[in-house]
Amino acid sequence: MYSRKTELKNASGLHARPASEFVALAKTFESKVTVRRLDDEAALPANAKSIIKILAQGLSVGTPIEITADGIDEVEAAEKLFALIETKFGED
Amino acid sequence: MRILKGNPVSRGIALGKVYIYKAFKADVHESYFEAGREDEFFKKYQDAVKIAENELNSIVASMEEESPEKAKIFTAHIEILMDEEVEEGVQEMIYDNRTMPDYAVDEIYTAFANLLEKAKDPLIAARAADLRDVRNRVLRILKGEKESNLANLRENVIVVAHDLLPSDTATMDRNRVMGIITEVGGATSHTAILARGYKIPALLGVADATEIMSNGDNVIMDALAGKVLLEPEKKTIKEYQDKLVEYIKEESETSEYLDKIPLIASGERYSIGLNIGGTDPDESFKYADFVGLFRTEFLYMGSEHMPTEQEQFDAYRRVLSNAMGNPVTLRTLDIGGDKTLRYMVLPKEDNPFLGNRALRLCLDHIDMFKTQLRAALRASAFGPLQIMFPMVGTIDDIRAAKAVVEEVKQELREKGIAFDEKINIGIMIEIPSIGLIADLAAKEVDFASVGTNDLTQYLHAVDRMNPAITEYFQSMSPSMFRILGRIFAEFNKASKPISVCGELAGDHLGALVMFGLGLRKFSMNAANIGRVKRTLSLFTLEETENIAKKVQSLSTQAEVIAYVKAAVEKRS
Repeated sequence: MYSRKTELKNASGLHARPASEFVALAKTFESKVTVRRLDDEAALPANAKSIIKILAQGLSVGTPIEITADGIDEVEAAEKLFALIETKFGED
Repeated sequence: MRILKGNPVSRGIALGKVYIYKAFKADVHESYFEAGREDEFFKKYQDAVKIAENELNSIVASMEEESPEKAKIFTAHIEILMDEEVEEGVQEMIYDNRTMPDYAVDEIYTAFANLLEKAKDPLIAARAADLRDVRNRVLRILKGEKESNLANLRENVIVVAHDLLPSDTATMDRNRVMGIITEVGGATSHTAILARGYKIPALLGVADATEIMSNGDNVIMDALAGKVLLEPEKKTIKEYQDKLVEYIKEESETSEYLDKIPLIASGERYSIGLNIGGTDPDESFKYADFVGLFRTEFLYMGSEHMPTEQEQFDAYRRVLSNAMGNPVTLRTLDIGGDKTLRYMVLPKEDNPFLGNRALRLCLDHIDMFKTQLRAALRASAFGPLQIMFPMVGTIDDIRAAKAVVEEVKQELREKGIAFDEKINIGIMIEIPSIGLIADLAAKEVDFASVGTNDLTQYLHAVDRMNPAITEYFQSMSPSMFRILGRIFAEFNKASKPISVCGELAGDHLGALVMFGLGLRKFSMNAANIGRVKRTLSLFTLEETENIAKKVQSLSTQAEVIAYVKAAVEKRS
């Protein structure tokens, strides 16, 4: 199991196109990947390969999150998804 | 002639025949199969998904070129269809509980749609419609029925439906659909967004529309005033034919002014504000320089309980984010008398408009007032928010309200909660007694905004809710312009911002006269922006000042309107 923490930096958060891109990338890994928001103690990890679950998290700009991957390519999965968040999805 | 009311989410007028559209209605019952057939039924689901994917791919392909924005909706549908949590959920119900595929699909999609609907962000909540749309597609395929839509209409119609799903509106033959009427839906629904994009008039939330109207009924749809006229008389039809022509003419003339920089002919810049009463994002924010009036009543009137500080704080932050960095003028609660709340008992008053309303009521219910101020102050840490009090009649009122603000600020400081220490505090000028001492008021506040509707009501002593005396309600009277001129001059002299957020600012004739009187900040409903910008662009500063001077010497409102109208017509 391998995790990376960050916060969302693009203005529109993990909605619409950024959410689609995030989920599409997550699906390319074999590991189980989840996203959990860190500003809500009750929040459960959401399946990063499910667009519906990701949208339902309502992740907006500034939300601190933790990306966790578990499986044979876990380090690569968490690092690549982390790097995608850091690109701000080409916004601003 | 019967009249139905609705929410006009896409403006326009349409005359025509009703076409009742009934989309595929899934009739799903809880049902199970006998053991041993799990693989067979899961395969049935997978086959349906495959067909759905093919249908969606061909819609995307047919749209990609002409309207890539709409094609995206269906690309999103494919993502939902292929969502692994959906598939896992359905698979589990089929293998573990031996649930029939249609019931499993219905259960899983409905559960996820409900989950999204709970999201705070209205844009995410609106995505629930996409889930229901995909669900219906899969259920229809499972039933073995063909795709039905609004793509092949034989004549021009006004579509009447319970609700339109994104796939209905996007594949719709827009050369034949003159208008859209639905029983449900709000301003951010897919139907509303697409209707605005296609420039098709749309009225949503028309109760029982599909029951009351039938195929072929002649109706007039007025998506300016928000009503449908059933089986209208000849006279009404004629009246609306004229209105339609007038509307189209005006739209084409004013729409090109929407995104222009607000300048008059001699180059002076002024500001356009937006009046809003909700948290919906709207394309019109980009045509405005500020939000001149953010009404907060919707939070109180649309709720079953007194809105909490957190609910208000969330709503205020959302509006700040919609405004994209421009200042937002939050008007504190303006109820009482005629506007009451379900959860708050107020004594009946003989003269509610002269009664315990707005700021008076807030000062009388200090906890409610403080909750709103706390939410607003907290939100001010996240963007340029300013607070404005309605129904101010004296300097005492201003001082009393400001004292409460100071108290709340002190409480926040003690708790270490962030807010904007320099937040602007202002007032509405709508009672003549404060207008007449505008010079003194300007010393006490950071800004003011004139509410011309209430100012007219109080200046002319006319109850604006009473239909018997509408002719006495005169916002363009010489007396109105005299008091307005005085207010503008005093605030300009004190170098304190002054704006108008009443209807008169959105009336192009009223705006023209007020420019001449010294006003530079005009706040209005989005629908009026193009027209006001266009009219003001036709005159120089000197000309507007001459018009304003002349107007104050005329004797009656009729003379004022005739004079200003003629001046504008001569230019256009």
